[in-house]
Amino acid sequence: MSAGRLRGIVSRTARIARWEVARSAGTVDRKTALILVVMVAAIGTAGFSVADEGLGLEREIYTVGVDEDSRYYDVAVDSEQFRPISIEDVTTDGDGTAGTIAVRDEASVDVVVTRDGRIGHLGDNGAAAYDAFRESVESYNGKLMDEEADQAAAYPVLVSIEYQQRDLGGATDSGAGDGAGDGDGDGDGDGDGTDSGDGTNGGSGDGTGGNTDGSTGDESGADESGTDGTGGSGTDDGDGRTQVPNVGDGSTSTTAPDRPGSISPPFPFESLVLAFLFVVPMNFVIQAYGSTIMDERVKRRGELLLVSPASSREIVAGKTLPYLLGLVGVVVAISWVIEGGPIAVAAALPIALLFLGATFVGAMLARSFKELTFVTVTISVFLTTYTFIPAVFADVNAIALISPLTLVVMDLQGEAVRLGEYLFSTGPFYLGGAVCFLLGIGVYREEDMFAQKPIPAKIVDAIANRIRGRRSVFVLPILFIPFVFASQLLAVALLFVVPQAIAVPLIIVLAATVEEIAKSVHVYAGFARSRFEPSLRTAAMLGAFSGAGFFVGEKLTHVVQFVGLPDLPVGTAAFGPAVSDEPLILAVVFLAPLALHVVTAVISALGASRSRLGYVGGLIAAILGHAAYNLGVITLVA
Amino acid sequence: MAILEVDGLRKEYGDFVAVEGSSFDIERGEVFGVVGPNGAGKTTTLKMLAGLIEPTAGTAVVAGHTPGEPAMQRRLGFLPEESPLYEEMTAIDYLEFFADLYDVPRDVARERIHDSLDRLDLEHRDRKIGNMSKGMQRKVAIARALVNDPNVLIFDEPASGLDPLTTNYIIEFTEELSDEGKTIVFSAHNLFHVESICDRIVIMNDGRIVARGTLEEIRDAHGGTEYHVYATEDGSEGLTVAGSPIDVSHENGQVCHVVGDMRAVDAIRETVEAAGGRVTDIQTKTPSLEDIFLEVASEPVEAET
Repeated sequence: MSAGRLRGIVSRTARIARWEVARSAGTVDRKTALILVVMVAAIGTAGFSVADEGLGLEREIYTVGVDEDSRYYDVAVDSEQFRPISIEDVTTDGDGTAGTIAVRDEASVDVVVTRDGRIGHLGDNGAAAYDAFRESVESYNGKLMDEEADQAAAYPVLVSIEYQQRDLGGATDSGAGDGAGDGDGDGDGDGDGTDSGDGTNGGSGDGTGGNTDGSTGDESGADESGTDGTGGSGTDDGDGRTQVPNVGDGSTSTTAPDRPGSISPPFPFESLVLAFLFVVPMNFVIQAYGSTIMDERVKRRGELLLVSPASSREIVAGKTLPYLLGLVGVVVAISWVIEGGPIAVAAALPIALLFLGATFVGAMLARSFKELTFVTVTISVFLTTYTFIPAVFADVNAIALISPLTLVVMDLQGEAVRLGEYLFSTGPFYLGGAVCFLLGIGVYREEDMFAQKPIPAKIVDAIANRIRGRRSVFVLPILFIPFVFASQLLAVALLFVVPQAIAVPLIIVLAATVEEIAKSVHVYAGFARSRFEPSLRTAAMLGAFSGAGFFVGEKLTHVVQFVGLPDLPVGTAAFGPAVSDEPLILAVVFLAPLALHVVTAVISALGASRSRLGYVGGLIAAILGHAAYNLGVITLVA
Repeated sequence: MAILEVDGLRKEYGDFVAVEGSSFDIERGEVFGVVGPNGAGKTTTLKMLAGLIEPTAGTAVVAGHTPGEPAMQRRLGFLPEESPLYEEMTAIDYLEFFADLYDVPRDVARERIHDSLDRLDLEHRDRKIGNMSKGMQRKVAIARALVNDPNVLIFDEPASGLDPLTTNYIIEFTEELSDEGKTIVFSAHNLFHVESICDRIVIMNDGRIVARGTLEEIRDAHGGTEYHVYATEDGSEGLTVAGSPIDVSHENGQVCHVVGDMRAVDAIRETVEAAGGRVTDIQTKTPSLEDIFLEVASEPVEAET
């Protein structure tokens, strides 16, 4: 491409983008602008509050009457839930001790601490306030313990807790429990109390050193491979299995001793809420973006742009750019507010891209604003779920990495993100977004934009418009891989809590279905739109091309090997077992899927060359064959 | 010299053939009319020429370029049947945006836009398009088709749905553009307009061109001038024209003979007088484009000879 041509493309795209901004600004009335400002302010406030000191909803909701001389006074001051007032303000007579005190009728107080240290409550909120005060006392005491110079004296018994991945087969390792129970007191007693014995061991958990002698032993490091927090770091656990990688380094799991009552499973609530802030504006922006694309279609307004020197790609790029840049700006601003780093921005960007890509293709397929509303709500719900739910397990399970929001959570927790993890999380989003735009641009032309066809017919058109001979039959299944990957990951994410006996067969069939559709839908579209001669020979050849293309694309999914997902039972069901080191097995593992994909794709293609019904029949046969193959492989490997 | 050449243009939508093998040439500076009933394939043909629709088969060359090529789009002004304008923009903003998209320098664009709007007599140029009347919006749409100073203009129903005053204004403006040397492909349901401004015409029906040429050529091909001979007696007995009996009807007690040849009129007169009658009136009837259109549109479609 010559520099002049490139300059022309950039120039026209920029003009359309500028115009889109000017045009959209003209459609926003004062009321809408006010609503937008309020919305941004609300999101900003929520972000600030959570980032700063939580939501603050419970601040000073109770009043406690307590003397400044009382040892409970500091507790009340320390707790944000309590507002301390002088006991003299609430009592009428007596010396403030339990036996003599009488509270005034008009006194607004929930808890009273007498001068002799007795605690009582009154009023409707009294009981709840009393419980809260008791928790505040415990929390206050915990802080005092933490500040104690002699930690061994403060915490004479140390129990190290290590969270292990859940074994869905039912044979759950009980590292944490055993560790607690078997504490054999091997006397390591490292000073910071973080020693976890053999650390990455999934089951024995024998290393929870007890320490009652107050020593601050230093033998915690050398012979111990343990890591604190949530699971190991991918080291061998002794039985040859590669452990699920460390998703984050478990920094939510405190490395400081604490009281048993305050221990809870790792759940990065605050980081998760902050990460969610990135997704919120995307849900609003796609509404405006979908409307602008739809606007071009419902009144045939896009016709005049299509007849201009600007190409479809330039028009779409120009119309999309302001929304993408707007989202990038919002993401950067949120990141700055919540003190996220570049990783948070880099992780949120592909989410924005997929939100816009999916909305674009949805708006190109919808026949009315009513349908568009349905499409955008579906995209919002699906993508928000896809990104948010896995991120909940950010500190627990590798599966969390299917969502780029997990990277945001990790970033907010100050954890390093490896390149493989970034590619694994964001790859499907980048590629998925790109393919959505590619398909949408395929129908961004007069014949499709303004035609009132059923959505499935438009999908077939969009795919058929991308078919340019046999080479495209090979390439298209590679482009569909992100969707296959994302669908299978989602299936894994949704089913990994289901008992293995149910989850694995389900995933086998789902995975086969998704893959067979990806291998055959473009071949069907080609036959349905008369791109190919409907002969058995052509069908067989196209099927072989498609199967081979998918095989090549599938190999790209081996990026999962970098993060170890196949070691989860459900991961194996979806992606197959991890590749062996044996050359023969490696060759079989390499070539058998090629044969499978070619054969099943040919079966579907033969059906597709006949009719729609023929395609459905061929597809079902291909799915069954594929599922049987998957089952066989897993049985063999297992 | 042909500025627009169409050869065997065909468009299929699945099993439906919208345009079947259209071929024609348009000379530089010519106003070329495309007429036909709804669904005849006029708009599809014009959109294929504008590069909006890809033909299934056949070729079109506009100003030396294939439709859809950016170089061709720069030389073309297209006015679709509807005015798909951006109602939230002012007329000036809208036109300046399109001028910018066609790489027209800003000062040139401004001058050209105001010149077009002056000629179209459009006031309230800073008003939002959505607040303009339909006629004003149509004028903005025409001005948009002119922002790039195109060689070829494709006007699809330019006066559709407008009041007679605005319609006349737009027709006169189209004539002015033609006088300036622009080549105009013009489609309209109002055949009077086509008749009045087009140099040549094609009539389409069911996706095919069923008649073509100048108005005179089409008239000749579809009956030409008719002579209605009114007499007191039937003078058709024993007479034939080109081997067919003469068409005779009775009106107000008189016999009306319809023939297309002046020699037949003389023969009828002689026959009538021989029978003791007399010829009372002879009327010359020239079919309008509308008459030809109605005749053609009601006939089963056959490929033109």
